[in-house]
Amino acid sequence: MYVVMVYDVEEKRVGKILKIGRKYLTWVQNSVLEGELTEAQFERLKSELKRCMNEEKDSFIFYIFRTTKYSERQMLGVQKGQQGHFI
Amino acid sequence: MSESIYIFSHGTLKRKQNTLFFETQDGTQRYLPIEGVRDLHLFGEVTLNKEVLEFLSRQSVLLYFYNHYGYYVGGFYPREHYNSGCLVLKQAEHYLKEEKRVFIARQFVRGAIQNAQKVLEYYSRRNSAVDDAIVQMESLLRNVADQKTVEELMALEGNMREVYYQSFDAILENQDFQMEKRTKRPPRNRLNALISFGNSLLYTAILSEIYQTHLDPRIGFLHATNFRRFSLNLDVAEIFKPIIVERVIFALINKHTLSAKDFSEYLGGLYLGEKGRKIFIEKFEEKMKSTVCYKKIGREVSYRRLIRLELYKLEKHLLGEEEYEPLVSEW
Repeated sequence: MYVVMVYDVEEKRVGKILKIGRKYLTWVQNSVLEGELTEAQFERLKSELKRCMNEEKDSFIFYIFRTTKYSERQMLGVQKGQQGHFI
Repeated sequence: MSESIYIFSHGTLKRKQNTLFFETQDGTQRYLPIEGVRDLHLFGEVTLNKEVLEFLSRQSVLLYFYNHYGYYVGGFYPREHYNSGCLVLKQAEHYLKEEKRVFIARQFVRGAIQNAQKVLEYYSRRNSAVDDAIVQMESLLRNVADQKTVEELMALEGNMREVYYQSFDAILENQDFQMEKRTKRPPRNRLNALISFGNSLLYTAILSEIYQTHLDPRIGFLHATNFRRFSLNLDVAEIFKPIIVERVIFALINKHTLSAKDFSEYLGGLYLGEKGRKIFIEKFEEKMKSTVCYKKIGREVSYRRLIRLELYKLEKHLLGEEEYEPLVSEW
């Protein structure tokens, strides 16, 4: 499944959260990561985040698509992160 | 949902923030989510350190190196994470006992011939003049059962390849891509360069799948086990070459995605340039991800998955649960 992760956390945890997110997803903008995951990887990601977050203060939103076929991704302005299997 | 990552740029590969990080010479930075990486293919000049290797080993990611001409030169095969003494013994037993080894080798050759035949039949329906080759394939297939040794089977497989390669000109009908004959080290024409490059990609793809099973890639059956190289992946590749590599090549040429200018000459050999390699890899990855219906489990599976299933069938055979039958494409 294709996951878009958006987060809003207290400043002192931003770095930690980004570090966890980067293991699973591609960074595309400040506080936004996206990528293809399996169910198991998604569960692992969530449990890692839970261990680090403050349940009272931080918030995460995951947008989940079964495939990217029926969604469209439009952009304006600067492209910050890249994806793809070529470097 | 892991992916293969192909690195063409020159730069440094590091472990950073508990994931992979690549910085190119001109300063472009890129993080690679480690959970989404199955294997890394390095074509450019890449600097890396032991820390990266340790990390890759922990995450069970395989690393492959290719030289300037796109040849596979070696790789990093991390410590096995699926260990089974029992299966290694069984695998060695099947290698050492002549009749057991010939049985498996025969199945690989049979699968190779039948799949090549399927490809020819497909092009025969599209009015290519390959009917002679199909007839010859029939007789080769009948001969498989009569071969008593592995050497004879290897020779038969060689004959099959010859017949098969001869029919390429009729399938392609393209002046820029003529077969003439199979040449390696170096490939002397464009078609040969494509076959060599495609085969190296397939060998590594199969090696990555073998890593996910209990099989030992060093013990092959058709290809003799020697002192250094992996050989099981070469065996399994015989079955998949016609339905993966050659189909990709035909599609690229017939649809004019690749042309003569994507190749360059060096020391009497012809090689795919960087742009050509990217085009080829893109098509190859697309093929590996495309799905077909697999009757036995009644479900759509990708070509990459088909390779894994083939290895599981081999494991079952070695453990004496079910006799190994090679995959023959039905589509």
